Amino acid sequence: MATESNGAPLGAPALQDGTKSAPAPSNTPAVATSQEKLTPAQLKAKAKAEKAARRAQVKEARAAAASALPTAQAGGTGADAKGNKGKGKQDGQPGPGKGGQVQAHQSSVSGRRPSMPAVEKDARSGIPECFSHVPMAKRIQTSQAHKDVHPAVLAVGQQMATFGLKDSISRLQATMLAFRKVIESYETPKGNSLSRHFVPHVLNPQIEYLTECRPMCFAMGNAIRLLKAKVNKFDINTPEDEAKEELLEWIDYLLHERIALAEFVIARNAAQSINEGDTILTYGWHRLVEKTLIRAKKSGKTFGVTIIDDPYERGGQELAKRLRQVGIEVLYSPNLGGLRPKVAAASNVFLGGEAIFANGSLNAPSGTADVAMAAMNAGTKVIVLCETINFDRERVSVDALTYNEIDPERNTADNFRLLFDNTHDKYITGVITEFESGGGNSPAQAILALLRKQEDPLIA
Amino acid sequence: MAPSQATHTPSLEKLVKSLKGQSLEASIEALIFLLKRRQVKGDECAQATAHILRQVVAKARWQDVDQLLSQIQSAGSRLARAAPHEPVIGNIVRRVLGLIRDERQATIPIRPSPAVLTSTAGLQVSKSMFNLLSVAEPDGSPMTGGSTPLSQATQPTSVHTLRSEVMDGIEEIMDEIGQADDQIASFADIQIHPGDFVLAYQPSKTVERFLIKAASRRRFTLFIAGLEPFTNGTSDAPYATLRKKLSAAGVNTISLSSNGLMAYIPRVNKVILGAKAVYQNGGLLVDSGCCIAAQVAHEYLKPVIALSPVYKFCPEDPSYDVSRGWLGNPSTYVSYGNGPEVDAIVVENTVTDYIPPELVDVYLTNLGPQTRHHIASILADHYKTEDLAFSMQLD
Repeated sequence: MATESNGAPLGAPALQDGTKSAPAPSNTPAVATSQEKLTPAQLKAKAKAEKAARRAQVKEARAAAASALPTAQAGGTGADAKGNKGKGKQDGQPGPGKGGQVQAHQSSVSGRRPSMPAVEKDARSGIPECFSHVPMAKRIQTSQAHKDVHPAVLAVGQQMATFGLKDSISRLQATMLAFRKVIESYETPKGNSLSRHFVPHVLNPQIEYLTECRPMCFAMGNAIRLLKAKVNKFDINTPEDEAKEELLEWIDYLLHERIALAEFVIARNAAQSINEGDTILTYGWHRLVEKTLIRAKKSGKTFGVTIIDDPYERGGQELAKRLRQVGIEVLYSPNLGGLRPKVAAASNVFLGGEAIFANGSLNAPSGTADVAMAAMNAGTKVIVLCETINFDRERVSVDALTYNEIDPERNTADNFRLLFDNTHDKYITGVITEFESGGGNSPAQAILALLRKQEDPLIA
Repeated sequence: MAPSQATHTPSLEKLVKSLKGQSLEASIEALIFLLKRRQVKGDECAQATAHILRQVVAKARWQDVDQLLSQIQSAGSRLARAAPHEPVIGNIVRRVLGLIRDERQATIPIRPSPAVLTSTAGLQVSKSMFNLLSVAEPDGSPMTGGSTPLSQATQPTSVHTLRSEVMDGIEEIMDEIGQADDQIASFADIQIHPGDFVLAYQPSKTVERFLIKAASRRRFTLFIAGLEPFTNGTSDAPYATLRKKLSAAGVNTISLSSNGLMAYIPRVNKVILGAKAVYQNGGLLVDSGCCIAAQVAHEYLKPVIALSPVYKFCPEDPSYDVSRGWLGNPSTYVSYGNGPEVDAIVVENTVTDYIPPELVDVYLTNLGPQTRHHIASILADHYKTEDLAFSMQLD
């Protein structure tokens, strides 16, 4: 295996040597004419190159055979990957049988599975050039997924690709529950230990598949990082059952502490900040904002809510109905028209988000930044509700084109839409997280500092 | 819905065709009908108003200038009241009134009694410098007019000449309206540079003309923002003709189906807006959602260029309704099928936005680019002080 993966890079200079002495493109005549001048090292390199070429030919034949039966191909390479466990990248190597575009595509997905390149090309071909770096969710047929992907993860991936699971927390929740299933069904192969084997051979294929369905959200990234750290901490001699049990407990703990409890605390703290007679303005639908408003209403406060909706998502309409059901006065605006007078009339703006970056900027559904900016300019407080699991302390984002996604439904020049935008922290008065210290209403930077200090003592 | 509209709804062209055969009253009512149903809107309003006022001058019964003025005022205020969201109507009425006042001074010298003289003189004093100059012109006419004092005998001929003069004047205004877009477009290559990323929010006809002209000289990329999400399915792609023309000229267009614009503005070099009206403080009346484009651009220090022909400059301040935004039919967004909840929810579909003057960098008119400090003198050039109160007469 090692020789093959080294073969191509070493073979290339050897071939160049051959062409230097004789410009003939084919290999064998060059070898014949310049044979006596070659040093043993060069000979060895040449032999390697020939070997690589032979292998490439074999591979070409195999690819040709497989392309005749495209469905069989997935199974074939799957078996291949099984044969050389952990050397899945081999398919990504330049092989003469496959075109350049296929290689480019495969290297981008680390060559794990030859999914239909033609279809994917089409999906991204309409994207305007200036947005061509932005990733996009895509549907992958379950039959084309890597065979190591657990069925539960397959289902989650499909739902993410189709935006059935949309916001960061529900994606995180589904992922963790699926990983729970993965851990439950995991059995350490003989001669391996869980702490060494689980992450690279079992967990990583799952993560890769999910990422391919839709770029991971930052909460998932955080949770997976913590999970991996947790696995790596196990002693190599830890009994498998004990380790599995501990991991399952850890996942339950994460779901409970960082999602359920966080939601409760944030809603309570945010609801407390609503005063009698306030007008709260919000954008679209966010779970935490809905929970907060309903909680404040149940605690007996009278206040009005202005909902600015995104006509492409229309989550605000559902929110309007649910708020109305608990008796909150709702003013609904279907788009950003007339935003200035509306934010000026509001006493508070509550926004939810996908992630908060290390520079304090908020990654949130497209349009959030516009509302925050308009509100800040009108002198209205902008309060962001966000769980700490959504905080990314490693990345910064100064504009919306750094970390974003393209709407898979609207990905051409005729009809283009980015899913998120980036709200600079100067447009945010405060962030309410589940942290009790800091008054619950601190600027993002303060919370980031707090996070850094704590470094998740309970979880990691 | 779309095909039936095309066949049944009376359009501006049909109205203009029907003007000759119809009585004056029927024409006015026809336009009021169109305005109220918003079947004539935006740029068409100016042209339609000019047509109707021309009919008033041609067909109405009037014996002297004052009668004509009051005829125009009453017809004009009926039109303006039918469409309070279209301030352009008031502008055209004011322009025509001003035109008549100019013609009165040019053709009929007023010197019958000292009392009248002082009263008109008093008005003239209040006028701007520009009008003082224009008053100096008819100095020659007292020679002819002076010999024949204002009498019954001379009235018919002067009515006749006045009528044709005023009608010529209205024709000129109509020409100005017709040519304004082209004149604005002629400044396109000064404003748009090669390699620019230009954001146009719901491009109006004026903006489309401007962009197409720019595309003939410059290679740039255009973002079209503010597409309505629900019209996509019903007809062909929005701005299809604009996009086709631009791509023929080698200009890429990207339609942004997005509510917010903050995500895209770092890419954008300048924002082009078409104004529905420009108020005397420099504020703009624009289509709904346009304000967010201007605000976002202002935040990122990208220039905001408002395209507006001079006839859209209103000699008034924005009313409360204007700054709050006019409301439109909400049923496109929240259907009645949503059940009893819709009764309880207040749905506001704002159809116009007001952009405060500090967000606008350049006003590009058919007279060239202007700043907001220059608006006062443009207004003084085009309207008479007597007519500034026209909007007050609406209430």
